[in-house]
Amino acid sequence: MQTTLMGIIITEAKKSDCFSKENVMRKYSYLEHICDIRLKVEADSIEELFEGALDGMNSIIMGGPVENTAEDIRKRICVESVDFTCLLIDFLSEVLLLTHSNYNIFCSMDIESLSATRIEAVLHGFPVEGFDVDIKAVTYHEAEVLKNEEGNYESVIVFDI
Amino acid sequence: MVKITDMRKKAPYMWEIEKGFRSDMNVPARIFATREMLDDVLKDRSIEQLVNVATLRGIQSAAIVMPDVHEGYGFPIGGVAATLWPSGVISPGGIGYDINCGVRLVKSNLELSDVKSRIKLLGAALYTCIPSGVGKGGDILLSESKLDEVLKHGARKMVQKGYGVEADIEHTESHGCLENADPAMVSHHAKKRGEDQLGTMGAGNHFVEVGVVEEIYDHECAKAFGLFENQITVLIHTGSRGLGHQVATDYIKIMMGKMRDYGIVVPDRELACAPFDSPEGQNYFAAMAAAANFAWANRQAIMHSVRLAWRDIFGGQLEDLELLYDVAHNIAKIETHIIEGQPKKVIVHRKGATRAFGPGNPEVPLDYRDVGQPVIIPGSMGTASFVLAGANRSMELSFGSSCHGAGRQMSRSEAKRRVDATSIINELEHRGIHVQAGSLKGVAEEAPEAYKDVEEVVNVVHQVGIAKKVARLRPLMVIKG
Repeated sequence: MQTTLMGIIITEAKKSDCFSKENVMRKYSYLEHICDIRLKVEADSIEELFEGALDGMNSIIMGGPVENTAEDIRKRICVESVDFTCLLIDFLSEVLLLTHSNYNIFCSMDIESLSATRIEAVLHGFPVEGFDVDIKAVTYHEAEVLKNEEGNYESVIVFDI
Repeated sequence: MVKITDMRKKAPYMWEIEKGFRSDMNVPARIFATREMLDDVLKDRSIEQLVNVATLRGIQSAAIVMPDVHEGYGFPIGGVAATLWPSGVISPGGIGYDINCGVRLVKSNLELSDVKSRIKLLGAALYTCIPSGVGKGGDILLSESKLDEVLKHGARKMVQKGYGVEADIEHTESHGCLENADPAMVSHHAKKRGEDQLGTMGAGNHFVEVGVVEEIYDHECAKAFGLFENQITVLIHTGSRGLGHQVATDYIKIMMGKMRDYGIVVPDRELACAPFDSPEGQNYFAAMAAAANFAWANRQAIMHSVRLAWRDIFGGQLEDLELLYDVAHNIAKIETHIIEGQPKKVIVHRKGATRAFGPGNPEVPLDYRDVGQPVIIPGSMGTASFVLAGANRSMELSFGSSCHGAGRQMSRSEAKRRVDATSIINELEHRGIHVQAGSLKGVAEEAPEAYKDVEEVVNVVHQVGIAKKVARLRPLMVIKG
């Protein structure tokens, strides 16, 4: 589905099949950017926002929502940052590093603890042969975790490709 | 929101937004463009981003963008910003994640008629011997200690190992090595990403292109550069791969956590920075230099692969392919420029901008010194590329910098919506341009219509006097990841 907001085309992306919990909402969509990828993530909780951002990043890397497969790789990560916004970006950067270093896609996670400056989680993933898009980096540009009028959390994330 | 009425014409093709436009600006914002280009530039956020750059601590003269400007993240692409050494800031976002992304132009002694019947053979050979595509590793596997030597010595290390000749070093910006590089400042993670990526092209807008010199504009410069009509050339465009991306990621995070301590506030988090003379600034500069050296080594290794493939097909010696020049377009350098009549040492950030030093500058190789540094401007896939010579007006107006390419005018997603990759490949083939690509999606994203008219861009810097046109190269074969 495509809608237009202030001249920006928004493509609604469906939730990844990796996601299976009930009664929670998370979604991501793509906004226009002249050379990179601008992703908007929205969720009804901070935890879901992190998971939605992970879904969105994986969909860029693999060229579409990542299908649920037999997950046989687990990786524990701990990321610390100065605030929620930086934590979201630094978390994605950390996952991107693991993705590129080991040719793994991490399509789900168990968040063990999450505060404004620290996340501890166990990532679940699987090996892949290659990637569809080369994300060079997750940038802080335009990122701002905030609560919108619907009471959901959202942020824009620009990926350098 | 910046409007056209906020810009004042200061000289032909030169526009400025006054320092008072926003209270946090330290210098004006300067745009090199035609009046028609300005309308397009204002369609994205590049000028807002330029105004943000003008707020950086220690920035001198003006925040500048070239006519190939387009929206980036933090800094606009096509941007130049010089901050006062040593206390002004260094901002990793002002260099970009692909540290020392750049281009290298190789010239042959063969003409079009010599290669025409075997050009597809050459394309297939290059596609096979130069690993390309997302995250792809190559045949050169480096232990951490060997990688450290590459990070320390750059292209020179590759030449020592047999991947080139001494003349290649002479014809590389900074001799392919920034002396302040310190491998110890590069994280283990970054090194891990680089361990198998030397000699690889990557994906996106990176390419290897075989071309022919179609027109000479300046015969004196062309003679100095060794260019002649109908000559076959090879253009290589790539950077520091995952290693450079990780260096930038690591240090932007570090600086993000330290800005408050230095009392620095930036209007966009991606402009995260630290005083150059702070520990964080110094560590980043040493790591950036190491990543820049990796990029020069990478292009040197790819050039060696090109030479091997060339010799297999056309015979002769490896040295028959000579390096014309290699320039960085994502880098920070310490340079001395005249500011308000006084020579001052500055940290010049070039993000999507090429150094363009004029005649007589000691940084220009001896054999080019009378005419100026070669400035290599790749066009989009299927359009001409240009060789220019740096001119001394660049020292007055743009901290010795010029444009770096055509500049995007259409997003990748729009290009994919509008362009059918197979049709593009067929159309280019019909025009005598063979495309060898690993991804149809990549071809659509890089379609010629996704970019500005490179000739218009080049004409602006030529008219301003930043660099002068020397030759136009027509592509014959494009190899992409």
